[in-house]
Amino acid sequence: MIKPKILKGTRDFLPKDMAKRRLVMEKIESVFINFGYSAIETPAMEYAETFLGKYGDEGSRLTYTFKDKGGREVALRFDQTVPFARFVAAYHKNLPMPFKRYQISPVWRADKPGKGRFREFYQCDIDVIGTKSILAEGEIAKVMSCVFECIGFHKFVIKYNSRRLINSILTDLSVPTERQVETIRIIDKLGRIGREGVAEELSTVLPERTVPRLLSIITHPGTSEERIRFLEPYDTKEIEAFLVICDAFGVPQQSLQFDPSLARGLDYYTGIVFEVFLPNLDIGAVCAGGRYDGLCSMFSKRRFSGVGVAFGFDRIMLAMEELNMFRDVKLNTRVLVTYFDEATIKNSLRILSDLQTAGINAEIYFESDKLGKQLKYADKKEIPFVVICGPDELERGEATIKVMKTGKQKRIPQSQLTAYLHGYTGE
Amino acid sequence: MGTPVNDMNRTRIAVQKGGRLTEPTLDFLYSQGLRFEPNGRNLITPCDNCPIDILHLRDDDIPEYVCRSVVDFGVVGENVLYEKNAHVKVLRRLGFCHCSLVIAVPETSPIKGLEDLEGERIATSHPRLLARFLREEEVNAAIITIKGAVEVTPQLNLADAVCDITQTGRTLKEHSLVPLFTVFESQAALIESPFPKQDRFDFLSL
Repeated sequence: MIKPKILKGTRDFLPKDMAKRRLVMEKIESVFINFGYSAIETPAMEYAETFLGKYGDEGSRLTYTFKDKGGREVALRFDQTVPFARFVAAYHKNLPMPFKRYQISPVWRADKPGKGRFREFYQCDIDVIGTKSILAEGEIAKVMSCVFECIGFHKFVIKYNSRRLINSILTDLSVPTERQVETIRIIDKLGRIGREGVAEELSTVLPERTVPRLLSIITHPGTSEERIRFLEPYDTKEIEAFLVICDAFGVPQQSLQFDPSLARGLDYYTGIVFEVFLPNLDIGAVCAGGRYDGLCSMFSKRRFSGVGVAFGFDRIMLAMEELNMFRDVKLNTRVLVTYFDEATIKNSLRILSDLQTAGINAEIYFESDKLGKQLKYADKKEIPFVVICGPDELERGEATIKVMKTGKQKRIPQSQLTAYLHGYTGE
Repeated sequence: MGTPVNDMNRTRIAVQKGGRLTEPTLDFLYSQGLRFEPNGRNLITPCDNCPIDILHLRDDDIPEYVCRSVVDFGVVGENVLYEKNAHVKVLRRLGFCHCSLVIAVPETSPIKGLEDLEGERIATSHPRLLARFLREEEVNAAIITIKGAVEVTPQLNLADAVCDITQTGRTLKEHSLVPLFTVFESQAALIESPFPKQDRFDFLSL
């Protein structure tokens, strides 16, 4: 016998967990579809060369690689962005351009598992590729705000910044181009290691007098407007254009926050970058992304500019659990039709079929057990209604409907069962 | 008398066509100084003394017309307005056509209190207002939505209770129904489009 265990950093999901996950995932997906994004899917495993070297040294170390049965070097999907770049390079001639896609699928990272960090987890990505229009940034911001509203968050902060702005600040401070990427990577740690930590790391790449000047510029206090005004000597055109378009898109002003210290560690961002945070929760960004220009360049001579963000599905789930947002999640079945006896089963199956045809999720109990046992099953499966139809009810063309929460039973004509269930309030 | 024209510059007021609200609504408009012929067979009646057309519509269509700015103003019962949940501006309650939306049960019914409604069937043509009431009272019941003749449903075993509009209580009494709870108190209201035309004719100041 083998012990029924699973790998570290992976998870089984029981029906109740899946009900919650499906609920949130469907809501996120419905927003993507609502904005005209098309679903695509890429393989879980690809040639290792497709992924390796695209995520920096750390990323390569965390990529699962192995030899397949034919001796090929294979890697598991590390994120959805690089496979998307390969996808666009392969199909761009046949795709409508600009191309808007979403992908929701698991990715694998050989990371050390911890709170909210798994080796197998889900990402939900949207990207617009093939346009430089600032409308794309605006739309992505709007999608982010709609997603968080749709899944029930009233308070969330979309932090944004402009890579062009950071670059212009660094250039003004005489940071040489070849040091800028590294500098940005260090700035990105501000939220995690604090001002002192960042100052210390910066002093290894920048002249001593530059460090405090840089830090005071990017952490200048004030409202978004005050910060933008303060930074006007630098390149703030993109930020201003972004704000105008967000306003036109109706992105709630109070959820937008300009943060010139937001850097996004990944090298490939070239314009506006985003990170979304949920206040009072110490789980990091729940969504992040930005504008990129050369993403497909490793797979194609053509350059495609695009904007994309990834929603951290598992972090969002964690936040919702912590905030107790799953109080009324329902499992699938709404009605259990009981198995009374051989003589009535045919009628019960007809009732079952009528309910299902009317779009009501219903199931039949499989054995003619005592009613108490059948009700216990309904209780355990959290089925809110039980329909009982014994010989007495059958003779009158009626059925008894039992509301599990209150225990109240009611007899109504069988023909009215669907109307009753459709009209039932409070769930 | 002017002729009805499809002129977007004219201000339009929607009133109920041939119903409980029609006569008091027309009286209200006359009292505001509008002069127009009583509705003949035309759906649109132009005013003689100002650039206003009176539109005669089904009352449950009026919130929709106003909400979409097809007409500028409308006079409609609040029960219809809130049942439709239309996004319109309510300018004022007009103080006529008072009525109540009540839950009533047959005289012989064992239902006496709110808690007895739990799990029962309630027939109504106001499902939204009824659902809101039940939610507020924390009662779950099956709402059976029908368009009209709600009062006959208990004797047909389609419902255990009704939620219906009553003015004098006569119809309920004729069907041996006893009102138990008031869900909503209604009267006529003057409503305006959420996107008012800049140059609409402000007939209230006539």
